[in-house]
Amino acid sequence: MENLERRTFMKGAGLGLLAFTVGSAKVLMTPGQARAQAVPFRLLNGNEGAVIEALGETLVPGARQAGIAHFIDHQISVPAEEALLQARILNVRPPFANFYRAAIGAVDRGAEKVFNRKFAQLTAAEQYDFVGRMRQNTIEGWTGPTGGFIYTLLRTDAVDVVYGTMEGYAALGIPYQAHIVPDKRW
Amino acid sequence: MANEKVDVVIIGAGCSGSVFAYVLAKAGKKVVLIESGPDWQLTDLVSSEMWGRRIRPAGAPILLEGKNPMGYAGQAGWGVGGAALHYFANHPRYLVNDYKIKSEHNRALDWPISYQDVAPFYDRVAWDVGMSGDAKAEEIWRPAGKAYPMPPMKSFPNGEVWLKGFKELGIRTAPAPVAMNSTEFKGRPACIYDGWCHVGCPTGALANPVVTYLGEARKANAEVRAMSTVTRILTNQAGTRATGVEYYDEKKQRQVQEANVVIVAAWSGQNPRLLLNSATDKHPKGLGNSSGLLGKYMTSHTVAGIAALFDEDLQNHLGTIGAQFMSYDRYDKTAYKDQFGSTYITVGFAQKTHDFAASRPELYGAPLADFMKRAARGFTRITLFGEELPNIENRVELSSEKDAYGMPLGRLVHSYDDTAAALWRANGVEGLRIAKAAGAKEAWTGNVIPTSHLHGGTIMGTGAGNSVVNSYGQCHELPNLYVAGPSTFPTEGASNPTYTILAVALRGAEQLAASWGTVAG
Repeated sequence: MENLERRTFMKGAGLGLLAFTVGSAKVLMTPGQARAQAVPFRLLNGNEGAVIEALGETLVPGARQAGIAHFIDHQISVPAEEALLQARILNVRPPFANFYRAAIGAVDRGAEKVFNRKFAQLTAAEQYDFVGRMRQNTIEGWTGPTGGFIYTLLRTDAVDVVYGTMEGYAALGIPYQAHIVPDKRW
Repeated sequence: MANEKVDVVIIGAGCSGSVFAYVLAKAGKKVVLIESGPDWQLTDLVSSEMWGRRIRPAGAPILLEGKNPMGYAGQAGWGVGGAALHYFANHPRYLVNDYKIKSEHNRALDWPISYQDVAPFYDRVAWDVGMSGDAKAEEIWRPAGKAYPMPPMKSFPNGEVWLKGFKELGIRTAPAPVAMNSTEFKGRPACIYDGWCHVGCPTGALANPVVTYLGEARKANAEVRAMSTVTRILTNQAGTRATGVEYYDEKKQRQVQEANVVIVAAWSGQNPRLLLNSATDKHPKGLGNSSGLLGKYMTSHTVAGIAALFDEDLQNHLGTIGAQFMSYDRYDKTAYKDQFGSTYITVGFAQKTHDFAASRPELYGAPLADFMKRAARGFTRITLFGEELPNIENRVELSSEKDAYGMPLGRLVHSYDDTAAALWRANGVEGLRIAKAAGAKEAWTGNVIPTSHLHGGTIMGTGAGNSVVNSYGQCHELPNLYVAGPSTFPTEGASNPTYTILAVALRGAEQLAASWGTVAG
């Protein structure tokens, strides 16, 4: 991101605000707001977004509405060094979009093996059961990134959007207490 | 492109590089620090778990392998301040027994120096950067030294609730020594206990390098070249001296910076990677590697994290990420029957929602949501760091894969041996005993051994036959090439390493300044 964008949007970081493009304008909003306003994805296609939403919601209730797909879509569209994703902490090799596409493919293939349907088409109970098996790497014939790793990474993404924002802290009754903004540099 | 020759070029603007920059710039030397990441300002340090990831590497240049791969990227730094821009600022010392394990137990390695050699520098660092704690209370475990400049930090229910358990088991505790301000210090404000230390402290209350040594070095005209990646250390034709570095600047243009002295301070993964990649016909196995030990003896602390839920509201959002209390009571190498290695215990830290979720990685869906609500009130933790003994199989070497500059990636292979694993298990048992004695309603620990802190790869020793550098960080084979940071540690103790990194770097930097005429040539 350019400096202007970064500086401006850092001010909204605690609120989880990111820069989404609406029409030709960049607008500050949360991923949840972007979802509610049907802001088009930058990189993901419809099925990829649906899988991420379904997986996120299974992992952390509320992730769909909090805009997990828009969050990930936004983050994989910026240079890796600008990304806020846990992927960088877990040593995923950039570009991160490659990992997410591989993970989505692995999840869909796994779901088809077990249920003969893509993951987003499963019932909530089936999705819950599938994720448990994926976490423990017990789905036979699995291909792509390991299920346990996908679980770990996507679960953190979902925690990010549901519990990592000021709104998420407020929902748990926890004071967010962001540091004061310093007025002095050393 | 060649730049005007300088006195000193330092690779990495993290904590050890900043100390060298501070000492040498104050001594009137022209110092340039070349840093691969951004020149962060305090105002960049946003209080957010997600935004805090930006001060870590993205796509770390190290491939992680072995039975217990290093948690590299989460602990590494990217940008000025390095890993110490987001560290927890726990500042326990290594103790007397850490420096002489081989002599005392015929295991592991000795340092070529003793605690007494480092002790004066511990005291000075405390006053340079600002530390809070109760030095007198620590004297039950270590020789007396100077008092810390500030009294202990405040404690909170999330730390205090554990003290009953320690007391019942006869485990002594003391206020944790931390590099944070309990009161205003050198114009930097006192901590406000909001617990966002781990994503970078923007107030200056936490002594990261930006507000301490690096800031002072810049005042003395040290120059930082950010977004610039060093790929090789250059040497003369005879292979007897370092002559400078090759790097790629922020525009990805190749540059050469000549210098009288080169200091490699890019952390434990990168230091050996750079030295290995700087091989020449005179140093075919890498610089300083006649012993064959370059890249070897990588060590990491095991972490037995004990999480617990108590009935009361522990106000777990308050405090710092550094500890409120600590104990060296299990620091003796044989503290546990049938185990070997030191254990350092830290107690009570501010907790964020990600900490709750991370403590129960098996929970998802509705059970996770339910747990998060309970954790919001009564969740707290203690941590027992365990020592890993040096193992030559734990190593950094060059991969056949290359980075954007054509430099081979590092390959860090790390596995805990049975001794480390057994100590980790013993610490888990001990931690759960403490939790039970403290009255925890529930307590648990993980079933995978985490790694924390990274040491080794360019260890110090008594000569070129058993090590890469001497106790000052000076390369045995190229006297104007220094290596700084935890990569020089032959053993790791169990204490958080940064205080020792700073003290050892200060000792090395002052030796270099004092012997400048003979070293720089």
